Amino acid sequence: MSYTQRRQFLWVLFLIGLALIAVVAQATTLARLRFQELVHYSYSIARVRCLHAESRVENGEIWTDTSFRVLVHNKGYLPEEIVVRQPGGKFQHLHSHVEGAPEFLPGEEVYLFLSGQPGHQFLITGWAQGTFRIHRNLRSGGETVTQDSAETPVFDLASESFTKAGVKNLSIDVFEQRVHREMLREME
Amino acid sequence: MQTSLRQFASIAITLLLILWSVVTAQGYAFNEIVPDVRQPGGVSGGSACPVPSHQLTSAAAIAFRWSTMLGTNPKTIITQNQTASDGLNEIEQVIQQSLAVWSSVSGTALTSASVAPLVRGSAANLCGSDGINSICFDQPDMAFTPGVLAFTRVITADQIGIQLGSGSPSTQVGQILDADIYFNPSDSLVSFSTPTALGANPKSYDLESILTHELGHALGFSHSAVWSAMMFPFAPAPGTFTGMRPTAQQPDAPLADDDRTGLRVLYHDPADTQFIGSIQGRIFPANPLSLPVSPPGVSGVFGAHVVAVDASSGSVIAGTLGGWNCQAPGPVQFDGTYKIGALAVNHNYKIYAEPLNGAVGPSEVANALVSLCRNSTTDPGWPPLQSCVVPQPGIEFTTATRSSP
Repeated sequence: MSYTQRRQFLWVLFLIGLALIAVVAQATTLARLRFQELVHYSYSIARVRCLHAESRVENGEIWTDTSFRVLVHNKGYLPEEIVVRQPGGKFQHLHSHVEGAPEFLPGEEVYLFLSGQPGHQFLITGWAQGTFRIHRNLRSGGETVTQDSAETPVFDLASESFTKAGVKNLSIDVFEQRVHREMLREME
Repeated sequence: MQTSLRQFASIAITLLLILWSVVTAQGYAFNEIVPDVRQPGGVSGGSACPVPSHQLTSAAAIAFRWSTMLGTNPKTIITQNQTASDGLNEIEQVIQQSLAVWSSVSGTALTSASVAPLVRGSAANLCGSDGINSICFDQPDMAFTPGVLAFTRVITADQIGIQLGSGSPSTQVGQILDADIYFNPSDSLVSFSTPTALGANPKSYDLESILTHELGHALGFSHSAVWSAMMFPFAPAPGTFTGMRPTAQQPDAPLADDDRTGLRVLYHDPADTQFIGSIQGRIFPANPLSLPVSPPGVSGVFGAHVVAVDASSGSVIAGTLGGWNCQAPGPVQFDGTYKIGALAVNHNYKIYAEPLNGAVGPSEVANALVSLCRNSTTDPGWPPLQSCVVPQPGIEFTTATRSSP
């Protein structure tokens, strides 16, 4: 391939890239929840560690109840151990799959924004939007959180615009301060 | 194709930098299920290799009924026709059109003959594990929380002979026994408009786009990371729609090539002579010591996006989640293998690979990853020789292209 051809090809790719970005700007949406809405809609917010998951049938549907140990309370009262319900799971030879429902591995630590009340199973507010995975830097020991839905631009109904806003690689301290700030704002 | 790859080897990294933030192509993915090899081979097939969930494609095998019960408080489904019966006809037309989007893709075994006539039901709660595919607009479900517009429950079986409700016993492993589509009926901020009503209701979501996406799940698709794909995880913005509107000339216009290729792979048409090309290879780290130590046996990069771009048009034709391979009797080997099938022949393609650290992260394709393996921890009594553990996706690598031998 000649230099000229290579340049042309790179330009074509660049333009395709711009076109794709335009597509995203028009076509990528969720019913986005702002951070303060997530805090507002959630009965509780906590740092939890996944213990185990179990599927069960209730009202004719398969659900997965994941047990978590509560490590840190940020909002609301939670017992030491909670159960979070997700649609889908495996029961005998049936596999019920609901795309987009977050899944957790035993031992994994996450922050969850939870809907529901103690005594019942909790739900994760906005599914991926209310799930914040914790990453530990093995070298520095520092921890950061990334929102499951933060990777892609989403549509904000309130501002009627797209935004890539979301929590990504935010240090734990800053994240908790942000939660605390939104809770204070909620009480005002 | 190999010549083309060699020609581009010198600039692959440059291209990758451009594509890094643009293509983001994990590509089509399927809802995979590992057969239950604890059962006799006659009902499980005897192999622990994952099987994609799928519908049967014989005449009228894919049947849907839909609930004519629409929410009024809040009103979530908006039609242009204001009379009740005309409004229902308008919705039914959208459902039929959305089904036709998928059944009109060329080169697949899924055709319009595979789809049975739509059936109406008057109950709000038609959706349930009853062996009948249903679409519900006014059925509350505990799974809805703020921010969830719609979802699809897809039920498959890991052996043949399993019956669900009034459905027939499964005749294939991975056969979808029930797929129910739920639209959020109770969020006052969310409504869905038919295409003809969308213009006058710009804050409403496009019913056709969302329904077509959910029908993709009902056919066995997981999410795709190709931004223009119908199976991209996020619905189009209120007042807009995905791709182009279907026309009589091109009823599959809303789909992207990635969706079409995925459908051709999932519903392979043995009589097709055009989309029979495939590209496969393996992805290795430059430093083998960077491979995960646990689980043992990982010999290639797992969880990379691998995407095929048409060399002449520059469009993303298909992508896949690379890094594994499976030969009967299984289990999956994590050897870095990728394979992109159902490609049009007599075309040149360029292949790109990137880690899952771009616009789509591992968590968004978690199911496509974790469902590849079963073992004694997930399933008591699982035979050790057919067990595997899914490694963490390798997300900390950069890529370079090596010429084919």
